[in-house]
Amino acid sequence: MKFGGSSLADGSKISHVADLIKSYSKNSIVVVVSAMGEVTDRLLEASEKAERGDQEYVKKFSVYIREIHLAACKNSIRNKDLLEETSKRIEALCDELYRVLTGVSLLKELTPKSKDYILSFGERLSSIILGGALRDRGLKVKVLTGGEAGIVTDSNFGEANPLTEATFYQVKERIEALISEGIIPVITGYIAEDQYGKITTLGRGGSDLTATLIAASLKSNEVWIWTDVEGLMVADPKIIPEAKVLPKISYEEATEMVMFGAKGMHPRALEPAMVHKIPILIKNTFNPEAKGTLICDETSINKDKPVKMVALIKDVGMISLIGGSMVGARGTAAQAFTTLAKQGINIMMISQSVSESDISIVIKRDSLSKAVNALELSMLGKGIVRDISYENDVYVLAIVGAGIKYIPGVAARVLNALAKEKINVYMISAGSSSNSLSVVIKEKDGYLAVKKVYEEFNLGDI
Amino acid sequence: MRIIIFGCGIVGRSLLELLKVRKKELNISYGLAPKILGVVDSKGFAINTEGLNIDEILRIKDLGRSVGEMENYGKKGAFELEILENIEFDLLIDMTPTNIVNGEPALSLIKRAFSLKLNVITTNKGPLALAMPLLLELAKHNNVSFRFSGTVGGGTPLLDFAKKCLMGDKILAIRGILNGTTNYILTEMEKGKEFSEALREAQVKGFAEADPSLDIDGIDSASKLVILANWILGKKITLKDVKVQGIRDIRVKDLEDAKKKGKTIKLIASVNGEAKVEAETIPKDSNLAVSGSLNAVSFISQYAGEETIIGRGAGGKETASSVIRDMIEIRGLMG
Ligand SMILES: NC(=O)c1ccc[n+]([C@@H]2O[C@H](COP(=O)([O-])OP(=O)(O)OC[C@H]3O[C@@H](n4cnc5c(N)ncnc54)[C@H](OP(=O)(O)O)[C@@H]3O)[C@@H](O)[C@H]2O)c1
Repeated sequence: MKFGGSSLADGSKISHVADLIKSYSKNSIVVVVSAMGEVTDRLLEASEKAERGDQEYVKKFSVYIREIHLAACKNSIRNKDLLEETSKRIEALCDELYRVLTGVSLLKELTPKSKDYILSFGERLSSIILGGALRDRGLKVKVLTGGEAGIVTDSNFGEANPLTEATFYQVKERIEALISEGIIPVITGYIAEDQYGKITTLGRGGSDLTATLIAASLKSNEVWIWTDVEGLMVADPKIIPEAKVLPKISYEEATEMVMFGAKGMHPRALEPAMVHKIPILIKNTFNPEAKGTLICDETSINKDKPVKMVALIKDVGMISLIGGSMVGARGTAAQAFTTLAKQGINIMMISQSVSESDISIVIKRDSLSKAVNALELSMLGKGIVRDISYENDVYVLAIVGAGIKYIPGVAARVLNALAKEKINVYMISAGSSSNSLSVVIKEKDGYLAVKKVYEEFNLGDI
Repeated sequence: MRIIIFGCGIVGRSLLELLKVRKKELNISYGLAPKILGVVDSKGFAINTEGLNIDEILRIKDLGRSVGEMENYGKKGAFELEILENIEFDLLIDMTPTNIVNGEPALSLIKRAFSLKLNVITTNKGPLALAMPLLLELAKHNNVSFRFSGTVGGGTPLLDFAKKCLMGDKILAIRGILNGTTNYILTEMEKGKEFSEALREAQVKGFAEADPSLDIDGIDSASKLVILANWILGKKITLKDVKVQGIRDIRVKDLEDAKKKGKTIKLIASVNGEAKVEAETIPKDSNLAVSGSLNAVSFISQYAGEETIIGRGAGGKETASSVIRDMIEIRGLMG
C-alpha cells in the first residue's frame, strides 16, 4: 500500500490512514509513504533559497518544518510515551536538516547529491510519524528508508534508475523476514541508495515506483495506491459531469492515459508491475468503500469496448512545416526533431502526409515560440522548407482503449462524430502501440468534441 | 596484472602452484604477468603492494598456518572490506568456501569489489547460486569483468563452450550430470554396492566432502544449473527457483530394474522452461549415460541440435586451471 502526500497532509489524515491500515492488517502489508502534503516542494524551495545564501529563510523554514511535523505527531499518536519518543526522533531529524541547509547556505553550493539528501527528509519524517501512529494502534512496525529496504540505484542523483535485479534480491532478503514475523514495514517512497550507500531520489514516478519495485521483489498479490481521487475517470467531470470511474484498465491503457495527462501513475512506475503482472488498485483514501480503478494485464480486459477514455489535452500548440521540395528530401523530419531536441523540447505528436509535403508537430504550448524560432533559424531559407506556421489555439483530443487495435473503424467513427458537428480535424495520429488515437482540433470545439466521442462510444455505460 | 586472492585452500594453493610453474609460458604466450598484492584466509591476511612472494605463501600454508603470520606483510584477524579501497589493483579472485545459506563472505566481497570497479573471478558457487542476477547486473553496471568458469565443470570449459562455440545459434535447453560424487555413487550402486558403501568409497577417494549432503541432495547440481541457466540462457533464476531432488531414495533394486530394460538412473539437472534436478531413468546408450565421477552436459540448440560435452569435473588443479583461463580472458579485455 502506498499513500501519497495528500493522504498524509496532516495529523488527522495520518490518523485516518493508520486506522485504514489497521483495518486491513489481517493481510500481509508493506506500507510505502510519500512526504506529508507539499513538503517535498517546500524542501526543494528551501534548498534553492539556501543555495542563494538566504539564511533567514532557512531559519524560518526549519521552524515551519518542525512545527508541522510535531503537530502531526500530536494529532495522530495518543500514547504519551510513544508520542514523546516519536517527537524526539522528529526533532533529531529536523536538527539535522537545519544543519544541512545551513551548510548549503554558507557554502552557497548545492550539488545534486546534497539536494537528494535534503529532499529525502520529507519521507523520512512522514514515515516516522506514520510508524508511530501504527504502533499507537497496537501494530508491530519497522520504519525503513528505501535504501534500508534494499532499493539500490545508479548514482544519477535527482533521477536515479533502480538496479532492478539487485533491488529484487535485497528487498526480498530484508523485507520477507519482517513480514513473516508479523511486522509491517513502513518504507519511505521516492528515496533509495546507490551502491555506496549514498541517498538518491527516484525522480519521475517517485513513490509509486518504490511501491511497484517492492511488490515485484516480493511477488505481492496487489499494489494499492491510495490517493485523493476515486480512480481514473472515463472523461474529465468538468466536461462530462456524469462521467464515471473506470473499474478496470490494462497497463498499456493506463500508460497512455497518463501520457495524456490523466492523474495517475507515471509509466516508469507501472513498469515493474507490468513486467511481473501485479495488478495495481488505485483507491481514494477518503472514500475507501469506493471500488477504485484496477490496472491489470490486458488478457483480463474486456475487448468488446474499443474505447475506454476520452481526454482533452489543453496546453499544446501545433507547428506545421510546409514546402514542396520536402518531397523525397531525406532527413527533413530528422533535422526538425534534432533542432527541437537541442532546445529540450519534447514532441508529443507528429504526422507527415504521404506526399511528404507537410510535417505537423504538436508540442507543449509554453515552448511554442521557442520552438518556432529555433525551427525558422535552422530550416528556413535552405530550400527545403517553404513556410513554418503554428497554431496556439488547438487542443489534442485523446481517445484511449486497447480495443482500438482489435476493432476496426474506431478512427472513422471518431471522425464521423466530429464531422457531424462540423468540427475540423487538423491532424490525426494513432499511438505507437495502437492503444490510443489523438486528434488535433480547435480550442473552441474542445468540449463539444469530448461530449460527442463520449456519446458515440457510450462511455457512460460501464 | 595486480591481484588479491581470497581463500588459499585446495584451489587457492593449486592456483599459486600453477602460476609459479607456468610463469614464463603465461608471460610469453599471453602477456600475463600476475602480481599477487594480497592473500586472505580465514584467520588473517598479507598485503604487499609491491607483490608477495608466492613461495612464501605456499610455505606458510603448507605448514597449516595462516597467511596472517607471514613475515613483514602478514596481519592476523579479520579482513575488513574497507581495506580494499586503499589498495590499487585490477583483479580479485574469490576461492572461499561455498556458503549456500547466504553466500557470505563472498557475496559482500564481490559486491564491494564491483562497486570499486574491480574485475572478479570466483570459483565459489554460493553467491552465484543465490544471487546471480544481482551479480551480473552489478558487474555490468560497473563495467567490470566477472568470470566464474571454475564453478561448473571444473577444468572442462563448459560455460565457454556454450557461450562461445554455440554463438549465433540459440540454445533452447540444457541437460546434464553436474555432480561427480553422485554419479560415482550411482555407478557403483549399479554394480551392486549399497548407497552408504558407495558414498563411503567416494569420500575415501576424495570426491565427496566430509559433509556430502550438498552433493547427494542435489543442491550442488542445482547451483551449477542456476549458473548455466543465467549465463547461457539468460534466465534470471536463483536456487529457490529450482525444483531439487537428490539420490537418497534410490535403491540398488531400482538400478537393477532399469538395467534389465537397457536403462540406467542418473541425477540429471535440466532447464527447459522449468529448472529441476531429479533422478531420471535414461537409456544406457544415451549421451548422458557416463559413468564414474564424470560430468556430462548436453546443450540442445535450435540449429546445431544436441551437443554433449563430457569432462572430468572438479578438482583443485582443474579448477585452478580454469581460473587461469579466466585471467587470460580478463587480461585480453584490459587491453
Ligand atoms: N576443491 C575443488 O575441487 C573445487 C572445485 C570447484 C569449485 N570449488 C570451490 O572453490 C572454493 C574453494 O574451494 P577449496 O576446495 O579450495 O576450499 P578449501 O580448501 O576449504 O579452502 C577455502 C579457503 O578459504 C579460506 N577462508 C575461509 N573463510 C574465509 C573468510 N571468511 N575470508 C577469507 N578466506 C576464508 C580458508 O582459510 P583457511 O586456509 O584459514 O582455512 C581456505 O584458505 C569453494 O567455494 C569450492 O566450492 C572447489
